[in-house]
Amino acid sequence: METNLNTGRRLSLLAVALTASFATQAWGNELPSMGEESSPWQVDLTYENHTVRREHTGLAKFRNTMQAELDKKVGDGWGIHSILRGSWDGVYRMNSSEYGKDAGGSITTQSTTPAGLVTSPWGAGPVTHTLVSGLGYPGAAGNAFVDSYGANNPNSGLRVLGDRWHATDGGVGFAVPVRPCDIDSRGCRDFGGYGNKKLSELEMPEFNSRLDFIRELYAKKTFNLGDGKDLFVKIGKQQVVWGRTDLFRVLDVINPVDFSRNNIYDELSDIRIPMWIAQAEYRMGASDWMQDRNFQIVWNFDKFRPNNLGQCGTPNVILDAGCFFRGMANLWDNGGTVANFANVGPGTLLATNFGPGQIGLKDVNLPDWSLSNTQLGAKYEGVTMDGLSFSLNALTYRSQLPSLHGGKRATNSFTGQYQNAWPYLISFDMEFPRVNLVGGSMDFQIPAAGAAVRMEAAYTQGEEFSNTSREQLYSKNDVFRAVIGVDRPTFIPFISETSATLISAQLFYQHIFNHEWKQEQYGPVGMPDWENNFIGTLLIKGFLRNGTVSPQLILAHDFRAKATAIAPQVEWNYTNDLKITIGANYKLADGRDHWNFDDCRACNPFAPFTAPNGDANAMTSYSRGFGGMEPLGRFRAGPIGAAFKENDIFLRLNYKF
Amino acid sequence: MKKHLIAMLPLMAAGVMGVAQAATEADVDNSFNPYKAGMPSFPGLTAGTVINKANADQFKDVLGAGVYKLIKDGLFEMKVGATTQFAINKNYTDATKANLNKTKLGAKPGDMITGYVAGRPFPEEPDAKDARAGEKLAWNYKYGVNWGDGAVISPFYWKYRNMQTGQVEKTIKWDFHFLNFMHRTKDAPIPEFTPNPSGIFRAIYTKAHEPSDLKNTQLLIQRFEDDAKLDDAYLYLGFQRRVRRLAQGQVTDAFLGSDLMIEDFEGYNGRVSDMKWTYKGTKNVLLPMWNHDELKLATDMPAEADGYKYVDMGGQGKCFSEGTWQLRKVYVLEAAPVNTNHPVSKRVFYMDVQLQNLNGANEIYDRKGELWKVFMVGKSHPDHHLPVNKGAGIGIDDAFSMVDLQSKHCTTGQFKGQVDPKKNPPGLFQVQNLRGGD
Repeated sequence: METNLNTGRRLSLLAVALTASFATQAWGNELPSMGEESSPWQVDLTYENHTVRREHTGLAKFRNTMQAELDKKVGDGWGIHSILRGSWDGVYRMNSSEYGKDAGGSITTQSTTPAGLVTSPWGAGPVTHTLVSGLGYPGAAGNAFVDSYGANNPNSGLRVLGDRWHATDGGVGFAVPVRPCDIDSRGCRDFGGYGNKKLSELEMPEFNSRLDFIRELYAKKTFNLGDGKDLFVKIGKQQVVWGRTDLFRVLDVINPVDFSRNNIYDELSDIRIPMWIAQAEYRMGASDWMQDRNFQIVWNFDKFRPNNLGQCGTPNVILDAGCFFRGMANLWDNGGTVANFANVGPGTLLATNFGPGQIGLKDVNLPDWSLSNTQLGAKYEGVTMDGLSFSLNALTYRSQLPSLHGGKRATNSFTGQYQNAWPYLISFDMEFPRVNLVGGSMDFQIPAAGAAVRMEAAYTQGEEFSNTSREQLYSKNDVFRAVIGVDRPTFIPFISETSATLISAQLFYQHIFNHEWKQEQYGPVGMPDWENNFIGTLLIKGFLRNGTVSPQLILAHDFRAKATAIAPQVEWNYTNDLKITIGANYKLADGRDHWNFDDCRACNPFAPFTAPNGDANAMTSYSRGFGGMEPLGRFRAGPIGAAFKENDIFLRLNYKF
Repeated sequence: MKKHLIAMLPLMAAGVMGVAQAATEADVDNSFNPYKAGMPSFPGLTAGTVINKANADQFKDVLGAGVYKLIKDGLFEMKVGATTQFAINKNYTDATKANLNKTKLGAKPGDMITGYVAGRPFPEEPDAKDARAGEKLAWNYKYGVNWGDGAVISPFYWKYRNMQTGQVEKTIKWDFHFLNFMHRTKDAPIPEFTPNPSGIFRAIYTKAHEPSDLKNTQLLIQRFEDDAKLDDAYLYLGFQRRVRRLAQGQVTDAFLGSDLMIEDFEGYNGRVSDMKWTYKGTKNVLLPMWNHDELKLATDMPAEADGYKYVDMGGQGKCFSEGTWQLRKVYVLEAAPVNTNHPVSKRVFYMDVQLQNLNGANEIYDRKGELWKVFMVGKSHPDHHLPVNKGAGIGIDDAFSMVDLQSKHCTTGQFKGQVDPKKNPPGLFQVQNLRGGD
């Protein structure tokens, strides 16, 4: 199984109008840099408290952030800009039973029988080493199942995979350690900046080996080349933003994103992970046919970082992916009971005690730094003489989303035989493939409609998707993504007679080329991601009391997942320096069976032992389509559906000193 | 007879086009120096007079209707100064003379003028019998000297004020840049920047530095030579780090929650063709015009490194500048939106004849025809302002008050205007410049 999230499915509840998130103060006389003298450091300091209460779980965030923004002109036209950020989230201590050292507990597992679903203690089989040994087939005594788990893998500090958003309900289920990694190290891996964090690192995420408290630090200068042409350079740790649409990152993929901060609901500028980048832009100005012409080269020379999907056991684990990874890593390291697994008879799927080194996630192959692992982009951006503003973009980069390559090495659970590759086996390594992207964007007005239209599209090669019809359980597929957005300021008298209310609608489309999906004996197999999908968003934002009060409503609907997010909020700028925001985030999902997908229980990697009961082709490995919500339902549910039980209310306070 | 008729055709055409007579150099002189025969006067009005609620009626004839109401309601007291010359720079007046009578109106109101090169396109006195006299004044404004070929206001403080309580609800610290791409008369390149395939006539670029939630917000408005073309407007949102194209409807929206629309900038910031212009007559009216260095200046504003001090604000809720007003010859001009959905039913301007700006004491009427807002932009003589402005030959916008009479709210502006071409490179007015910041 591979876990390439849909990059288009990120909904950020950023406001897209004229007031929004609290940035920091500016420096005094910021006229264009034209070689003027140096200036002293200008420092602006802000504080934010963001408190979230989540339905069913209680406190889900008590994050306190201090941010300093520093600017200095250093002479000869060079300017330095830096943002330092440090935060402390008290949720791990204030709600430790949910997210901290006391999280999780002992769990049960499940078996399917003709009489119904049967619950048993985790670690107690019923399929165990002893039971399998008793089957008497040649080599049965050497089976690698276990009768129980030792002190290194106790039934404590655990939750059942996916229990935050669905019941096991006859599907695959296994244990996930949820405590910080200094409390419980089971399944802890560095998945790329998350997955192996101890309590203090979760509380204060910016203070790490990548020095994330230095959020931005760069130097910039505009070199006047004469004849109206300039060369703009910006070197350092920075964000580079491409594209024209809100919410969806079709072209805006140069920086990875930290979803652990507030899932998909923070401003992208706050959750993009700045990278060490050099960019140069040749600003050619106008020509006889173009009003503006610019060519930009972006070289991301930083060591690779993927998106931070959130460590299992923390409040924000997008798609619950971090829990899947940690649970799978623990299965590899220590083994564990997998619910409803062994198809030993008609209508009978018994919980099975796997030992270590048989199934799970072993290696995380984060690309090391090398020249060939750096990332390079180019953009031509211009405005035609008729006012069409457009860009053409190309980027070669490493996927910021992990791909799980299956069919890897393992010990055959039934025979104890080790083999370097077992086709269709859920033994994985995590990879980050190289992706090549070409795309473009444009915007224009439609005067008759009083609206501005934004479009963005990208075609990628190299992305990888889960695919249970392939031996390694993934496939590379080309992808086309596009967004069209329309902004229309509209006077809605009952909101305000003097300030227009912004109505902004967007429709995102994704198509996966050579999509594989077929109906097998017990259900569909192939790719869980939808071949074609649409996501629509609608923002309505008003401005009251001279813009100091701004109510807004955001709706987002994933058409194939049939999942909706509704996010109302009100911002109140009490003073120039104090802003208070209250809001909620509620999700709806219309039926959930359509999220179920092939879970590879019937892939038969250890033929003939893993073939479904009575299978006519028991010596062949391939998926027959047993399915459930785990683990691939998350790709069909998307970020909205997979979080449909995470309904939040929040209060955010921003103060500038 | 036929020959005689043919000879008359140009005159008949001129009559149809609303051009009664060709302008003369004397018209140009009168236009740029309407006080050649002496300064205007009004009984009882002298430098030092204070007009307030008690004596407003005495001076009603020399007050704009909106300003009269503000005074009569006791919202502020007007200090009167002497009328002074605001001579426009010689390059512009020379260009006016050099291109005299070259500009022709379009076939019908709203059509683009033809033949315009530079300077004041219609320097002759407006004729009340000329149905298109108002339109000609609108063209004079569009191609007026305004901020010259280019200037910057930096910093530019806007304050949102509750007029009843005096509470300052929000303070925005801006930079505003202006650049004429075409019809330039003073600063190189003259007459225009090339290439300019879109035909951008003028652009305004703004950048907000404070408060926090607007930091790095940038606005770019590009106005085209072709008046039929809609402006292009782009907004860079600092918190998004992305440029958004603005729909045209947003120019009549309360800009960033202030009492101004983008269309209000500089008095009127739209296309000539967006309005039906009517010349209502010529009279003497008090306008806020002064010598900056002779005012009692604000002591509650941030200090500037060069010692510059801002015009002080006073009156009800500190919604009014404390500058002096002087009696000026004005053209009364009305503009009614062509678009019936426009939130404004009409604007009334008291256009200073010498400067031919539109922002001295404007009245803005709501859709019901009731007085909604009064916009007053005070100007300083450039020779009594910053050293860099000496000899600029323009009226330096120095302080503004936009008073919303209906909501009892105001937005005030305090300027540090600098007529300095070095601070306005054309690249600043390209969309890409918005993307290249922090």
